[in-house]
Amino acid sequence: MLYREAGQFKTTYGADQAIFPIPQDRWVVYAVIALAFVAVPSVANEYWLQAILIPALVFTLAAIGLNLLTGYCGQLSLGTGGFMACGAYATYKLSTAFPEMNILIVFLLSGIPAAAVGCLFGIPSLRIKGFYLAVATLAAQFFLVWLFNRVEWFYNYNPSGTITAPPRTMGGFMVTGPEATAEARYLVALGFVALFALLAKNLMRGRVGRAWMAIRDMDIAAEIIGIRPLTTKLAAFAVSSYVCGVAGALYFAIYLGSVETAAFDISVSFLVLFMVIIGGLGSILGSILGAFFITVVPILLTNVPEALGLPIGVALAKQLENIVFGAMIVFFLIVEPHGLARLWQIAKEKLRRWPFPY
Amino acid sequence: MSEAYADAAVSAGAPQAPARVFTETLLSVDDISLSFGGVKAISNVSFDIKQGEIRAIIGPNGAGKTSMLNVINGFYHPQQGRITYRGKVRKKMRPNEAAKTGIARTFQNVALFKGMSTLDNIMTGRLLKMKRNFFWQALYWGPAKAEELQHREYVEHIIDFLEIQSIRRTPVGRLPYGLQKRVELARALAMEPHLLLLDEPMAGMNVEEKEDMSRFILDVNDEFGTTIALIEHDIGVVMDLSDRVVVLDYGRKLADGTPDEVSRDQKVIDAYLGVPHE
Repeated sequence: MLYREAGQFKTTYGADQAIFPIPQDRWVVYAVIALAFVAVPSVANEYWLQAILIPALVFTLAAIGLNLLTGYCGQLSLGTGGFMACGAYATYKLSTAFPEMNILIVFLLSGIPAAAVGCLFGIPSLRIKGFYLAVATLAAQFFLVWLFNRVEWFYNYNPSGTITAPPRTMGGFMVTGPEATAEARYLVALGFVALFALLAKNLMRGRVGRAWMAIRDMDIAAEIIGIRPLTTKLAAFAVSSYVCGVAGALYFAIYLGSVETAAFDISVSFLVLFMVIIGGLGSILGSILGAFFITVVPILLTNVPEALGLPIGVALAKQLENIVFGAMIVFFLIVEPHGLARLWQIAKEKLRRWPFPY
Repeated sequence: MSEAYADAAVSAGAPQAPARVFTETLLSVDDISLSFGGVKAISNVSFDIKQGEIRAIIGPNGAGKTSMLNVINGFYHPQQGRITYRGKVRKKMRPNEAAKTGIARTFQNVALFKGMSTLDNIMTGRLLKMKRNFFWQALYWGPAKAEELQHREYVEHIIDFLEIQSIRRTPVGRLPYGLQKRVELARALAMEPHLLLLDEPMAGMNVEEKEDMSRFILDVNDEFGTTIALIEHDIGVVMDLSDRVVVLDYGRKLADGTPDEVSRDQKVIDAYLGVPHE
């Protein structure tokens, strides 16, 4: 009943092209953003922030990055972990080489090497498509992890081979390093996600996004309307890897604090890909939903038996979690292959007509 | 003369406006030959397209019509011959470069972007006209937004012209075939082309849809002044719409002239209906 567009007339194309053309949607989004920035840090405890919200936000950013490439431009990539590693190691090198530099600028700059590497590994996309391209990007994944493991310069010749986020402040607050509070780190992660989600959405609803989707949907027709496949695909790889690189920087400096290359192995690439697929290919909202779904559901599954008072062992609970989680993914892909974002869209359609059945 | 042909002759002979006269040549192909391995798709074909006319390319299946469009459009590179476009001999070019010179086209099998709405599909036709760079686009503010809205306005003009207002927000994958063809025409028109290539714009349509499409083709030619080259199998439509017709068969040019001349040409009749065995 509350969700009605009747009587809302748009009189300009600007209003029609808005991200949320329906005021109800807009208010909900403003409310969620306000809650996330103000209410959550004051309410949530350390466990919630550190174990659930921060990783979910970091993976949201990575999922947005991959969705730009796979969902919008149609180029399947399994190199996400590698591109994230680029961002993480770039952050480490930059912040240790220039201790005075603002950490936010370090994060933003860290995406650039990742973008360059992404571009390089995107070159095969001009010749090969689909699964074969995925295999080519797999090369990026393995090569990059090997490189960061093997070349000691990347971890400043540290004998343990791990990189540790140096303590850095921003506006008087410690945001990285062991002394940074979970709240501060949460707010940084949230800020980045909000900023990049907005920029990504803007890119995708304009000329750039349409060119990428045209390449995805039919590259021959894209070419006859004047799109250059070469530059378009490489741009998609660059932008996607940039966002993944920034996500990697946050994964290292904001979430984990200290990492080895093992933190960026192939399982991370798959995890992000699952998020994109479950959330919805070609949807920014889908990236957010998918990342939260995949990070939150395992935690729920671990805690549900406990909350119900069922006495099951830790090992069994872990196995159950895997089974249920796997089953849910399969169920999802069968019931709604277009992901959570599509489900949400259907729910909204139904809501518009409720309580009428037609 | 068989009945099918007699029909075509009748429609060609129907009362018509006096023939339009065109003087300026927009595009001419000279002595084009194209082969794939041992298969000769086009051999030594020459014809021209005048500014402002509707030019039909007809011929039986496999005559090389679509190959000819692909050559004009930069998909195929002929082994021999040259193309003069707007007074200049054209270098070997890719389809996206041809698009920049103002050549748009539609495909025999609809080639729309299935995952996008009608509006977005047509907006892609404006890509070459949009100049704001990446960073402005990401901000979607100020000049970038103004540019976007200005192109939206142009696209709305085309949507009105082709009467597809009601399907603006529909993903094109869900549209019926006839409308998909119309959206494809809209996308081509959004490019503001000098030369519009239509590959079987009426294939698979029923009579009403064909009539609609014919009307749109005439209107486009009339209102936008766009030069149109079209391939079509429906001889009745071709004879009614086009100013001049070129007939291909087995990659060779059989005839070239007004619909009247072509329909009386014995070689054309033979190609379409076969030659009686002695």
